[in-house]
Amino acid sequence: MLKNHLKIAWRNLIKDKTSSLINLLGLTVGITVCIVILIFVQYESTFDAYHENSDRTFRVVQHNQLPNQVLYWNTTAYPLAEALRNDFPEIDKVTQVAGPFTRTFQIELALDKKVLFEEPDVMFVDAFYSQTFDVEWLAGNETTALTGMNSIVLTERLAQRYFGFDASSYQSAIGQPILLQGKDPLTVTGVVKNPRGNSDHQYGALVPYEFFKKNNPYFSGNWSGNYQGTTYLALNAIDQKTGVESKIANWKSKYLNPQDNQRISYYLQPITEIHNETLYGPSPGGYIMPKGILKMAAVVAFFILFIALINFVNLVTARSHARSKEVGVRKVMGSSRMQLIAQFVWENCLIILLAAILSIALTQGLLEVLNNNLTIIDLNLKFKGIHLLFVALLIVLATVVAAIYPAMVLSGYQPIRALKNKAQNTQNLTGELRKTLVTFQFVLVQLFVIAAIILAFQMDYFSTSELGFNRQAVVITENPNQEKATVFREKLLTEVDVSKVSFGSGPPMAVNGIQLGTNYRLPEQAETEALDAEMKIGDIHYLDFFGLELLAGRNFTKNKETFDEFIVNETLLKSYGWTPSEALGKTIQINEGQATIVGVVRDFHNNSLQYEISPCIILNWTYFMQNGFIQLRNTNPKSLENIKDTWQATYTNSIYKRQFFDDAIAKEYAVERLTFAGFGTFSVLSISLGCLGLFGLMSFIVAQKRKEIGIRKVLGASVLENIVFFSKKYIRLVALSFLIATPLVYYGMDQWLETFTYRIQPSIWMFLFGGVVTFLIALATCSFQSIKAARANPIHALKEE
Amino acid sequence: MLVELNNIFKWVQQGGQRIFLLKDINLKVEEGEFISIMGPSGSGKSTLLNVMGMLDTFDEGEYDFLDEPVHKLKEKHRANLYKQYIGFVFQAYHLIDELTVYENLEMPLLYKKISGSERKSLVADMLDRFNIVGKKDLFPTQLSGGQQQLVGVARALIGKPKLILADEPTGNLNSKQGEDIMKLFQKLNNEGVTIIQVTHSEKNAEYGKRIINLLDGRMV
Repeated sequence: MLKNHLKIAWRNLIKDKTSSLINLLGLTVGITVCIVILIFVQYESTFDAYHENSDRTFRVVQHNQLPNQVLYWNTTAYPLAEALRNDFPEIDKVTQVAGPFTRTFQIELALDKKVLFEEPDVMFVDAFYSQTFDVEWLAGNETTALTGMNSIVLTERLAQRYFGFDASSYQSAIGQPILLQGKDPLTVTGVVKNPRGNSDHQYGALVPYEFFKKNNPYFSGNWSGNYQGTTYLALNAIDQKTGVESKIANWKSKYLNPQDNQRISYYLQPITEIHNETLYGPSPGGYIMPKGILKMAAVVAFFILFIALINFVNLVTARSHARSKEVGVRKVMGSSRMQLIAQFVWENCLIILLAAILSIALTQGLLEVLNNNLTIIDLNLKFKGIHLLFVALLIVLATVVAAIYPAMVLSGYQPIRALKNKAQNTQNLTGELRKTLVTFQFVLVQLFVIAAIILAFQMDYFSTSELGFNRQAVVITENPNQEKATVFREKLLTEVDVSKVSFGSGPPMAVNGIQLGTNYRLPEQAETEALDAEMKIGDIHYLDFFGLELLAGRNFTKNKETFDEFIVNETLLKSYGWTPSEALGKTIQINEGQATIVGVVRDFHNNSLQYEISPCIILNWTYFMQNGFIQLRNTNPKSLENIKDTWQATYTNSIYKRQFFDDAIAKEYAVERLTFAGFGTFSVLSISLGCLGLFGLMSFIVAQKRKEIGIRKVLGASVLENIVFFSKKYIRLVALSFLIATPLVYYGMDQWLETFTYRIQPSIWMFLFGGVVTFLIALATCSFQSIKAARANPIHALKEE
Repeated sequence: MLVELNNIFKWVQQGGQRIFLLKDINLKVEEGEFISIMGPSGSGKSTLLNVMGMLDTFDEGEYDFLDEPVHKLKEKHRANLYKQYIGFVFQAYHLIDELTVYENLEMPLLYKKISGSERKSLVADMLDRFNIVGKKDLFPTQLSGGQQQLVGVARALIGKPKLILADEPTGNLNSKQGEDIMKLFQKLNNEGVTIIQVTHSEKNAEYGKRIINLLDGRMV
C-alpha cells in the first residue's frame, strides 16, 4: 500500500511540474532559512557552555554606585582573585585574566632572520585558568606551563604560523624562544587547541599572570582602581551562588577602603549568560549578542517557515479540485477516509522530505558563505548531527501544519459529487481559509518590508547625522613613541595630500571600545560625590583638527607632564549649572589630578548614537597620546602609501596599522547593521516566497475558472475586465494585510527605536512605501497568470467536458 | 433475494418545496438477473442506481441487500457491504490517470487487504480474460474509449462482486464499442453475475432480461 502511495505521489509530482517546483522551491527556501537562523541562534546562545564546569562557573561583576547613577563593570580590582582564593573554601577555583592585549612577538627563525608579529589577542592568565575553563593541551605540561614567569603557551594557529609546526611536531615547539615587546624573552611551554568559535575567550597566546603582575605592580596591588582584570570563579556546587554573594558583601570591607566599600558591590554572573547580557558588556575581545535579538531571530525564522508552509497548504488545497475525481473513484472502489488521508499525507510528506533533504545540502553551503562573508561578527557555524534533529522537528511541524489539513479536506469529498465534478461544500471553506492564510502571509511579508525600510532610515541616520566633529578623510594611526610624535608630524605635513595632523588618546567619538574613564568633582566635594566622566587627551591641534567649537575660553597652549588645563563639554557644565563663561577659571578634581577649566566646547557625540552624550574632559597631558590623526586632502592609495612609509621610517620596530575614522564609527553599529542586513534579506525573501505562493495559487484558480473566463469573454468582457475580475480578490487581501501589519510594525519598530538615544521618527510614508511596493509586486504576480487566461480563446475553454 | 427496495422516497428541498427524485420505488432483484433502467433525462435513473449502490442515501423506505437492512446500517458497515459485493462501471470510465492499467485493476484489491501474491494472480487472470495483457503498462490516456471502458469493467469485476452497477456504460462510446461492451455484459450475466445498467438506448436495453422504466422518479 505504501509503495502504491509513494508511486502515485511521485507521478503526481512529475505530472504537475510547475506547482511541484513552486512547492519544492518555496519549502526548501523556507526550511533552509529557518535552519540557518536556528543554528545561528543556537550558536550565539551557547557561548562558553562547552566548558565542563560551565554550569557552576561565574564571572565576578561589579556594581559601582555613583551619586547619580550605577556603573556596571565586568572587570574587578586585580587583588580580588587571590583574596577570594584565600578566604573562601567553598569556592573551587578562582582565576583571573588580563587582556587580551595587543603585543608584539619577535621570532628568530635563523641567525639574523628575525620576524616580527603583532597579535591582538595575547591573554595573561594564571595557573588556575586551565583548571577552570576547558583548554585542550596538545603539548606541554598542563599544570606547570603557566606557573613560570617567562613562559608562553601558543595556540595551534600561532605555533603553525611562527614555526610551521603541525600536529605531529607540536612537541618540538616546547622550548622555543619568543621575544615579547622587543625586550622580554619568553619560552614556549605549551601548545593548546585554538579556542572554539562560540567562546568569548578568544586568545592567540597565553602568558602567565605573574609576568603581567610583575610589569604592572601598581595595578595588580590596587583595590580601588578598575584595571581590566576579569575574575572568574567555579563554585563547588551551583546552589552556593547566593550564599557566596552575600558572604562577599560582608567580607569585602576587609580589603576595600570605606568609600569603595560603600560604592562597590560584587555579584556573580553565570558564564553562560555573559554573551547574551548587555548590562555588563563583553569581556575584552568578545562581543555581545543580546537575548532580544536572538529571540527576534527565532521568531523571524518561524515566520519565514510559515510563509513557505502557507504557500504549500494553499497550493495543495487549490489543487484538490483536480484530484476530486480520484477521491471519488477511490472511495467507490472501497477506500476508507483514513486510507485516503494516509495517501495524501504521504504525498505531501514526499515533497516535504525532498525539500528537507535539499535544505540540508543548501544549509551547509549557506553556512559556509555566512562564515566567510559576514564581516560584522566572526562566526564559525557548522551543521552538526544535532541539527538533523532541528530538521526532523521542522519536518514534523511542516507535516502537521501543511500535510494533514489538506489531506483531511481532500478525503472528505463525497464520492458521487466528486465524480460528477460538482462543487464541494468544503470548497467554500477552503476558499475562506485560503483567504485568511494569504492575508496572514502578507501581514508577515509587510512586517519585514516595512521594518527593513525603517531600519534603513535609522542606519542612514547613523551614518549621515551631524556628530559635531569632522570625520571625513581622517586616518587614525598608532603613536607608539610619544617622543617621535613631533618628527612624524613635521614629516607628514610636507606631504601634498596631508592637510592637518594631531595626536591624542582617541578621536572625539569613542571607537574600538576604547574610552578612558575618570571621576570628577569640585575640590571641596567629598570623593563620594564624584561623577563619572570621559577623559580625553589631546594636543594643541586637537580642537582645530576635529573642528570642535569653543563656546568660551581658549585652546591649550602646551601639553605638559603634569596637566594643568581642562577643556570640558557643555554636558559636564550641567552638573553644576554653569554657563560656559562661568565655568572658565573653575578648578576641577579628577582621579588623575586637579586643573583649571580654560575652555568649553560645544557638545559633540563622544558616544555612538545609541547612547547619550556624556560629560567629557580634555586634558593637556603628555601621557596616553596613543593615536595619531591625519587629515587627508584626498584619499588615493598613493597618499596612504606615503603615510605608511613615513610612519615606518619614524617608528622603527613597530607594526603599522591604520584605520579610517568613518570605518571605525561604522563598526560601533555592528549589531544594528547585522539586524538591518537580516531584515533586508528576509524582506526580499519573504516577498519572493509570498509572491511565489500567489503565483501558484493564481495559476490554479485561473485553471479552475477557465470556463468562467470563457463564458465572460463570449458575453463581452474585455481582457482587462477579466484580469481585474481575477486579481481583485487577492489584491484586496494584500491591501487588508497592510492595514493589519501597519500598527504591529509601528509598535515593534517604536520599541526598537526606543533603545537608541538618537533616532529617526517613523513617518507615515515609510509605511506607505512598504505597502505600495508589496502591493505592486503582488499585483504584477497576479496579473501574469490572469493575463494569460484572459487572452486565451474562449472556444477551447468552453468545448471541454 | 439480492436487492429488495420497499417504498423508497428521496427528495430535496428547493424554495420550501419538496422536489421528489425517487417516489415510492418498489423493486426486487434476484441473483442472476440483468436489468436495464430506462427513462428520460432527470427521471431518476442514476439516483436509483446510486441508492442501490449505497453511494447515495434515501429519505424514506426500506432497502435490504442480501437480507441486511441497509437503511439501518452505519456508514462504515455499509461501505464494507458494497466494497465486498458491488462493482461499479461509469459512463466516463473514471480510471485514475496517474495509474497504469495494471495498477488501476489492482487498486480495489489494495483496499480489500488482499495479499501481494494473490493480487498479482487476480490481476493477471483479469488481464487474460479481457485480453488486455499487452496494455497492462499503458496509462488510461493512451487507450481508446472502448479499451478504457473494458478496463473499467475489468476493475469492477476483479473483486468478484455479486452485483455490477453500470451507469450508462456505453454513453461515451461509438456504436461498435458500445456493442462490444453489451456483449461482454451478456456473457458475464450468463456466467452468473447480476447486472443492473442505466441506459438511454433502446437497443442496449434489449440486452437486459428485464426493463424498468422511470418517469419523474416513479416506476411506470
